[in-house]
Amino acid sequence: MTAAHGVLAAIHGVTLLGLEPRPVQVEASIGPGLPGLRLVGLPDAAVREAGDRVRTALQRSGFTWPGERLVVNLAPADLPKVGSAFDLPLAIAVLVATRQLPASAMTGTWACGELGLDGTVRPTAGQLPAAAGARDLGASRLLVPLEAAPEAALVPGLSIVPVANLAEVVAVLGGEQRPRHIEPAPVLLPDDGPDLAEVRGQPVARRALEVAAAGGHHLLLSGPPGCGKTMLAHRLRGLLPPLDLDAAREVAAIASLAGERAPDEPLSLRPPMREPHHSVTAAGLVGGGAGVPRPGELTLAHHGLLLLDELLETPRAVLDALRQPLERGQVVLTRARVRVRYPCRVQLVAATNPCPCGSLGSDTRPCTCRPDRIERYRSRLSGPLLDRFDLQLELRAVSREALAAPPDGESTATVASRVATARALAERRWGPGTLNAEVPVASLRRSCDPPALTRLADALDALGASARAFDRALRVARTVADLAGADLVAGDHVDEALAYRLPTLVGSA
Amino acid sequence: MTDPSGEPPPRRTVDPRAALSTAAVEVAPEGTDPQLLGDVVAWLVAPRHGPTGLRRAVLRQAADEVAAAFRAALPDRPDADQAIAATSTLRRWAELGCRVALVGDPAFPGRLSMSWGHHTVPPLLAWRGELGDGPAAAIVGARRATSYGTGVAAWLAGTAARAGVRIVSGGAVGIDASAHRAAVDELGATTVVLGCGHGVGYPRVHATDGGLFDRVVGGGGAIVSELLPDQPPNAGHVRERNRVVAGISDLTVVVEGGQRSGALLTAGAAAEQSRTVLAVPGDVRVAGSAAPHRLLQEGAGICTHPRDLLEALGRDAGDGGGTDQGPAADPGTTSPRASSLPDDVHRHLVGAWPRSVLIDDLAAATGRATGPLLAAVTRAQVAGELTIGADGVRLRRG
Repeated sequence: MTAAHGVLAAIHGVTLLGLEPRPVQVEASIGPGLPGLRLVGLPDAAVREAGDRVRTALQRSGFTWPGERLVVNLAPADLPKVGSAFDLPLAIAVLVATRQLPASAMTGTWACGELGLDGTVRPTAGQLPAAAGARDLGASRLLVPLEAAPEAALVPGLSIVPVANLAEVVAVLGGEQRPRHIEPAPVLLPDDGPDLAEVRGQPVARRALEVAAAGGHHLLLSGPPGCGKTMLAHRLRGLLPPLDLDAAREVAAIASLAGERAPDEPLSLRPPMREPHHSVTAAGLVGGGAGVPRPGELTLAHHGLLLLDELLETPRAVLDALRQPLERGQVVLTRARVRVRYPCRVQLVAATNPCPCGSLGSDTRPCTCRPDRIERYRSRLSGPLLDRFDLQLELRAVSREALAAPPDGESTATVASRVATARALAERRWGPGTLNAEVPVASLRRSCDPPALTRLADALDALGASARAFDRALRVARTVADLAGADLVAGDHVDEALAYRLPTLVGSA
Repeated sequence: MTDPSGEPPPRRTVDPRAALSTAAVEVAPEGTDPQLLGDVVAWLVAPRHGPTGLRRAVLRQAADEVAAAFRAALPDRPDADQAIAATSTLRRWAELGCRVALVGDPAFPGRLSMSWGHHTVPPLLAWRGELGDGPAAAIVGARRATSYGTGVAAWLAGTAARAGVRIVSGGAVGIDASAHRAAVDELGATTVVLGCGHGVGYPRVHATDGGLFDRVVGGGGAIVSELLPDQPPNAGHVRERNRVVAGISDLTVVVEGGQRSGALLTAGAAAEQSRTVLAVPGDVRVAGSAAPHRLLQEGAGICTHPRDLLEALGRDAGDGGGTDQGPAADPGTTSPRASSLPDDVHRHLVGAWPRSVLIDDLAAATGRATGPLLAAVTRAQVAGELTIGADGVRLRRG
């Protein structure tokens, strides 16, 4: 390499494979030849267009574009690069290669951001996971678009240099201007959502919500339209404890990656809740798409609730796609060039009508379904799908009198404090962050009073329930015991746990 | 057409008619002539033949004995194709564990045979399990039943079963299933009359392994069908089975049914054969009370207590229904069984009986905490004191 060829510039950027950061080195070199830019290293369409954006942005910001042949390589060459976040490192690489910026200015400094034609630095999706990734990969300083700076500043241990345009980039890197100071996005405590006290009647459903929140159990609500399934599901969110900072950052990173989060949005400690419509596709639910698969609703609900209304209207194949991820707590999406792993530690809340017309069991509206159709409808709920739901609940519409009456139940705050106590008990037993819903059955058995186990087996026998119901009931019983502050699961807890099952037959004695 | 290879065409090694007789032996109970049974089945499986045509042909014969009339009515021995079809039908029955008898045979239900000649009695009957020959009461009603209906049906059936009465009904969900289930729970024998062949498995919830039908057979009851093994449960077949329900029962009780309920057909068939028809009055606001109320208007007996049913059968009602004064009397006073439920909960369920109570309402009425209440209800359910359905919990009266 001779001086005649200029400097070989190498600027660090980061690309995301899902949430996993991968380092990308943007190398630029000027050599003899016809003027022009050659971009190599598996760029996608957005990256290929970067050449034109960067060239115009540099020229309009008063910098010169080399009149020789410019080769830019995105290394490693075999990693697919997606998106417009390489504009800024690319522009800096050109500036260094043409000696408009000293190479030493970029030591330990990484960059990401999109460029406008006038030289403005714009934010891209996934700024938060990109910043966290850059830190993990060894960056000590990161150039980020000014607008995205509050989000990037949420990452501890990384010095953030917000830049508004290319001129500022050069001024700050050249030491002519002090970097702006930026405050990280504020932390937002969960606000007051809908309160449990507003729910009229429904004592069984309230209790089930409490158990679901305390144990992290998947919950199935069956009932006619208008009986309050969605309303109850929304109140479950308020019963969950606030996220810790790490979890909140993870949730924010996923939202940032999906482009569902404004960069200056406060960091919410509220568990997320997603409510996809029942026409959602398998890719929409678990993630997918061309190139690097994007996170689906399941991942967006990580550390929170996934609410599936009209469960039986969702195609079976879509629901089946949920099974494995729910069990493992992560989705692995494999494509020809990439393999992406998204976390999905999700509590599932599903609602369904009791029959196709929805009025079965209603006192006011007669059901118009043929009995065999009801049978068929409900049989779709059976088997592996139903087995995911530790808590199954049949709801009834609340009577008009109860609706008119003043609220009669406990508030969210009261129940949430009991939930927190029960969760603390469970964590002391299983380890931090572990819920009863996730514990292996063998461990559950050890925390049971032996007579209670016998009682459970006998009761299931008498009720004609399947052996699979045993594990479910045991989990729920553990949570019921935790709510009661009991060390060992006793018979009473088992009895209550057994009550959270759907009656198997409609209208039969 | 000549065979180019010059080999002779494969010869049938077994005579189809001989195979037919062998297959018939496997399903024929004692007293049934396998050869005649084979011939009848061969006639029935032929295209455009049915039980009605056979009946008509048989009734035209002037023979005294039914079997002789059958022999006279059937044209010739079946041809080979019919014999092969009939053989596979008989084998199918054998596979399903059925036995098949012709009307008039000793194994054929006597009450049905009695009506032969002037009623539309099926020429043959296939059954699994034991038919039994004691007193039998049909308890029939709507599939789309209210909790009141299923509650009363269960009460009547359970009490009657304990008094040794066989319960007869269709295999449908709703009243039928409720009656069968209550009787089986009391270790009584019941007869399920299907509206389809034995091989169809309808309704699916009852036909599964370990489902209601298996429990009925295991409890000394029978599953009965007049149809060929794979005939589907179409509307006509389901309607026709109602006359078999009435035909094999000494009396018929209609619990719930709409204006055009099949239960009316059962009651009609029973009345035609001069057998007692009882009807359980229902809630006047409910569409499902139309059938019993119309029957009451037309002169059916009223059934407000299992005692009514047992008296109509000429049986002592002493041990079953209790000796209390009113029909809707407090089951707590008639039942000597001590309840595991807390007193106030038990009282509330007694007051609501035979209707179901939602646990939500139970909690509101008693002011008890939901968790312990759910535990108590489960305990009582395991002890067999109550049942839990989609419409809540209901005390089991016994």
